[in-house]
Amino acid sequence: MSYNEELEPKIDQDFVAVRYNVELEGPAITPENDPDVQAILPKDEPYRSIARAVLRGDTEESTIKVKEGLNSGIPPMDIINNGLMKGMDAVNELYTKGFYFLPDLMLSGDSMMEGLKESEEALGHKSETKGTVVSFVAEGDPHDIGKNLVVMFLRANGYNAIDLGRDVPNEDVVNAVREYKPLFMTGTALMTTTMTAFPKVVEELEKNGLEVPAIGCGGGAVRKDFIESFPMSVYGVKAYHTPKLADSILKDKKTWKEIRKKYSKIVGEFVPEYD
Amino acid sequence: MKRFTKMVYKKPEEMVFGRSKFPVSQRWNMQFGAGYVVPEVKVAPVEGSEGSKEKMVAECRNIAQSACERAIAVGLPSFMLEQEHVSHQTNNPEWAAETTRVQAEILEKYYEEYGIRVSLRQTPADIRIEERGLGLRGSDYDNNIEETMEACAANGASDLCIETMGGKALSDYGIARGDIRAILFGIGVLGSIDMEYMWKRIVNICKKYDCRPGGDTDCSQANTAMFMAGGLLDKDVSHTVAALARGMGAARSLVAVECGAVGPLKDCGYENPIVKSISGVPIAMEGKNAVCAHSDLMGNLVCGVTDVWSNESVYHRQEMGGTTPEVWLQATGYEAALMNTALQTGQEEVLRDLYTLTDKYRDPQALILAYDNAHRIGKAIVKYGKDPYLRSRAAALEAGKIINEAVDANKLYLTRFERDSLDNTLKILEDLPADRDQFIDECIRAYSRKVPDFNPKNYEL
Repeated sequence: MSYNEELEPKIDQDFVAVRYNVELEGPAITPENDPDVQAILPKDEPYRSIARAVLRGDTEESTIKVKEGLNSGIPPMDIINNGLMKGMDAVNELYTKGFYFLPDLMLSGDSMMEGLKESEEALGHKSETKGTVVSFVAEGDPHDIGKNLVVMFLRANGYNAIDLGRDVPNEDVVNAVREYKPLFMTGTALMTTTMTAFPKVVEELEKNGLEVPAIGCGGGAVRKDFIESFPMSVYGVKAYHTPKLADSILKDKKTWKEIRKKYSKIVGEFVPEYD
Repeated sequence: MKRFTKMVYKKPEEMVFGRSKFPVSQRWNMQFGAGYVVPEVKVAPVEGSEGSKEKMVAECRNIAQSACERAIAVGLPSFMLEQEHVSHQTNNPEWAAETTRVQAEILEKYYEEYGIRVSLRQTPADIRIEERGLGLRGSDYDNNIEETMEACAANGASDLCIETMGGKALSDYGIARGDIRAILFGIGVLGSIDMEYMWKRIVNICKKYDCRPGGDTDCSQANTAMFMAGGLLDKDVSHTVAALARGMGAARSLVAVECGAVGPLKDCGYENPIVKSISGVPIAMEGKNAVCAHSDLMGNLVCGVTDVWSNESVYHRQEMGGTTPEVWLQATGYEAALMNTALQTGQEEVLRDLYTLTDKYRDPQALILAYDNAHRIGKAIVKYGKDPYLRSRAAALEAGKIINEAVDANKLYLTRFERDSLDNTLKILEDLPADRDQFIDECIRAYSRKVPDFNPKNYEL
């Protein structure tokens, strides 16, 4: 007799392992029927169709609708602001509420980016964004999925995220600050010995008389106590916190010192590392 | 190269911790899979130690000495010390030579003085950057890995491991989007191709020295899915998709053994029970005593059939109970002592089953790694053993089938996200072409533009 037949039937899982995710799950929703989404989605065409395509993460449909709109003479900036970004606002709303998951966000982000590309081609230049953020992976570190998520979250929230890639030499990071004068910067690392690139970047910035309102540093082995041992830096806990931190600098002129003190309030949730 | 087309373990119940079909012997009187479980400790060099060779050597010496002292202090009969390299070590083979040498000297001293069985595992970092030219093949980074492997083997490493990163750009893209085709291409096809390239060279290096080719892990891919899937309430990656990625990871990590790796397979390869069921080589695992490094949903279950019990990794610093090499070796040491007591008293099957049942229905990722289910996935893999694409796909399909059976039997309950993503991914997997070349052509067309870091030439495609 196997353990499945002999032992398993004796177990009451309530005393061993509880699937709280199943226990607590609420009723299913249709994204477009959510009242907050309804309030965000535009009423007029073609903006509504574009926003709905982004909401569904349907890149093919969003590209077709954007092209149709552009061909009918609608200004590209209207397509971006009234269609694509509204769709992304609705996606962010559902993600925040826990109805949407990362894959939904990523696919919607892809749809938005394709539509944006079409619109910017028609525009002849880059569209206006909320601000520029530079993202990099520490020198010597090839692990970049965290940085990729950060970039996606920033773009989905209307920021121009400059992606410097992985294993980025400190000098290139400093040059990027000089070139883009970013509102915010993010650095990620997986290892204890590569996170040491962050204070070196800060030191070089200071030597060159450069400053960034804040540099959000996070990733695998990165610790808050280490990040707070040098200036200009903020320990970032979750990738999805990034646009909220950027918003706090843009809208409330927060400095790195203030973000360190108000991190939980800024991101709007309990954060064990800060609370 | 041989491919596994038959199971070494004919029945799942033959599998148990501490025993493997093909035990491995090393210097310092160490055996793996020979009737006892070996605790492992691994500690990440402290920040700042990468500043110079002298600092790194001192750091590695300190880690080894601390571990040895605690092993003796609490009476451990054996242990493995693993040093996972930071990039500075692998980029500078002369650093790796020296750090390995000092650690080997310390272990040997303790072996000679106390008779404690010891093993020194060296794991150079996969520092290759795919998008920089032909980054995976023949780049300076790639050459440094090879030189570092040789430096470790020549200076006292008992065995060599690596966590290869081939196919990661594709699997990362797929994991973040729930795109099972990209995950399969990244893990099953590209990962397998890259492992073959890397492991043939590692095995050849080991042949020149008294050093064993240990094994690989799908850390960079299936573990990425697992870590992003996170806890029960996280909303990033579906736990059912992560379970399917783990199945594929087994078909991929098996390639190291097919190239000549003998084990113990690398600790963070959660797919290792599946690989053990197919190949019979000893494995290292991590779970509840690796909470210092990360969380998982199968902390006990993964003890079930392991031969080495690891803490994964921890900062090198002081805890209330001592420094981390001391504290975490003690933790893995006591767990191994429990398993060894069970082996000595003939209670190993009972303990294995209790370990398994504590987590089996905690999460779909745990369910598929219960030793009986791991064996089922192994059988699905060897059925298509000669084709890494088809066997990876078969592993994922079998994992899905196992989950669905548990759901139908009211033993496991899924959330809508897990349910929907499982249904979608299984349908996509079933509809994929039966021909490897056709699948590869389709994927190259579909992903070359979407994943700019991916260069088919890195895989000779």
